Order: sequence, then structure tokens, then C-alpha cells
Amino acid sequence: MSGFDAGGSQLDTSWFLLLAAVLFILGTIGVLIRRNPLVILICIELMLNAANLTLVAFSRQLQNLDGQLFALMSMTVAAAEAVVGLAILVDIFRHRDVEDIDDLSELKG
Amino acid sequence: MAIVIFFIAAAMAVAGGIGVISFRQPIRSVLSLVVVMIALSVLFLLLSAQFIFVAQVIVYAGAVMVLFLFVIALLGPAKEIAKSRLRFQASLSALFVLALFGLLWAMLQGVTYRQPDKTVDMSIFGTVQSIGLGLFTKFLYPFELTSLLLLVAAIGAIYLSRKEGDDR
Repeated sequence: MSGFDAGGSQLDTSWFLLLAAVLFILGTIGVLIRRNPLVILICIELMLNAANLTLVAFSRQLQNLDGQLFALMSMTVAAAEAVVGLAILVDIFRHRDVEDIDDLSELKG
Repeated sequence: MAIVIFFIAAAMAVAGGIGVISFRQPIRSVLSLVVVMIALSVLFLLLSAQFIFVAQVIVYAGAVMVLFLFVIALLGPAKEIAKSRLRFQASLSALFVLALFGLLWAMLQGVTYRQPDKTVDMSIFGTVQSIGLGLFTKFLYPFELTSLLLLVAAIGAIYLSRKEGDDR
């Protein structure tokens, strides 16, 4: 048995993990091929959410609450990451218009 | 019934995820991400994680997405240029991502999950009481460190977003 009971019908943990994998992959594609720094931040949020889904799914499978608490922590970290990332972006955009993430290459030396 | 709800929410999440990476305007990407968040919150409810469901809707779909919308409104609707300088990058990243997905898929084939060590009362699993009990006993130090992290993030955001030459 690889699933659990949810409201009378059997759900498979693998479905949740597969969905999380698909969402994570979509986020990875976005980070790799999109050029806009804002969209890249959005795609990172998508990946973090996919990781959250696996945490909560395993929490339900093992009937152990620790996974949900981990998910809560990672939500906090994601919020902090979004705030600081957006602040950096606003600061950069104040000086110049960035259409392409590759324009930001000053730190390369 | 739960299976139907799962597949509807999963389809919504995947459609939203495709929307995030395929829309040209950032504002549409953000709104697609809101769809993903809402679909995921439904899935959290299916996984009997009530508190995570509420936190997902309020913190993510509410606060974080509003923050993104504010920033987009502040920066103006910058459209993305279609072509990148590295011409082979798109195909190369597609190859890499397909390999990663193949690995994840192979990992999920024929996997057997550990069974619960002890059966718990599922009627209180994931409620505010049980989450709060875990958060303030077993996870007290991580919880306090989280508050420090949020403080640092808030100070950093204020510092980064103040005006040039504003040394007060």
C-alpha cells in the first residue's frame, strides 16, 4: 500500500510527488530560459512551492507532523527571499532599465 | 471524490505553471502563479494540512503575490525581448531539464513508502492546535530563528529600497 485514505477514497503519494516534480521542472525551465529578472524570481517561488508540496505529502504519508512544520519554515524563508530579491531588483531598476538578466554582469570583473 | 478534486487541482497547477513560464508580460506570470498557489492550497487540504492551507492562501497568494504585483506596478510593464544572446541556451536547458525529469520519474518507479511508525488520530492531524504544539515545543529554536530571519529580511529590504543620498 503506497497511499492513504482521504475522505473515503484512496490517494497515492506518488501522484503528489509526480505533480511536485512537474512543477519543479517548470520552475527550472523558467529560471533557465526566461530573461526578465522578475520572472526568474517568480519561477524560484514556483520551485519552492513544489518542494513544499513534497514535504506535506510525505508528512501525510508518514502521519508525522514534522513535514508540515518544515513546510511552514520554508514558506517563511521563501517570503524573506522574495522580499530581499524584490528590494534588490527595485534598487537596480532605479538606476537603469534591465531587460535582460545578462546585462547585470558588473560583478564579473 | 478526493481523486477528482486531486486531478482538477493538479491540472490547474500544471496549467498555471506553464502560464508562468510562457507569458511574455510579467504581470500575467504573477497571476498564473496565483492560480498555482490556489491549486496547491487545495492539495494541502487534501493532504489534511489545514494550517498550511490557510498559510498558503494568506502568506503566498495574499502577501507575497501582492508584493510582486506592487513591484511590477512600480517598475512598469517591461516586455521581455524574445531572443537571448546565447542561441543554444534554450535547447541545452531543455535537454538538461528533460534529463532531470527523467531522473525524478525513474526515482518514483516502483518506490515503496515507509509506513507510519504509529497511527495518529487523523481528526486532529494538521490542525492549528497540533501545529502550534509542534511549533512551540519541538521546533521552538527554528521558530525563534525564523523571527530573526524575518527581521533581517525586513531591515535589508528597507536599507536596499531607500533613496540615494538619504543618510538619515
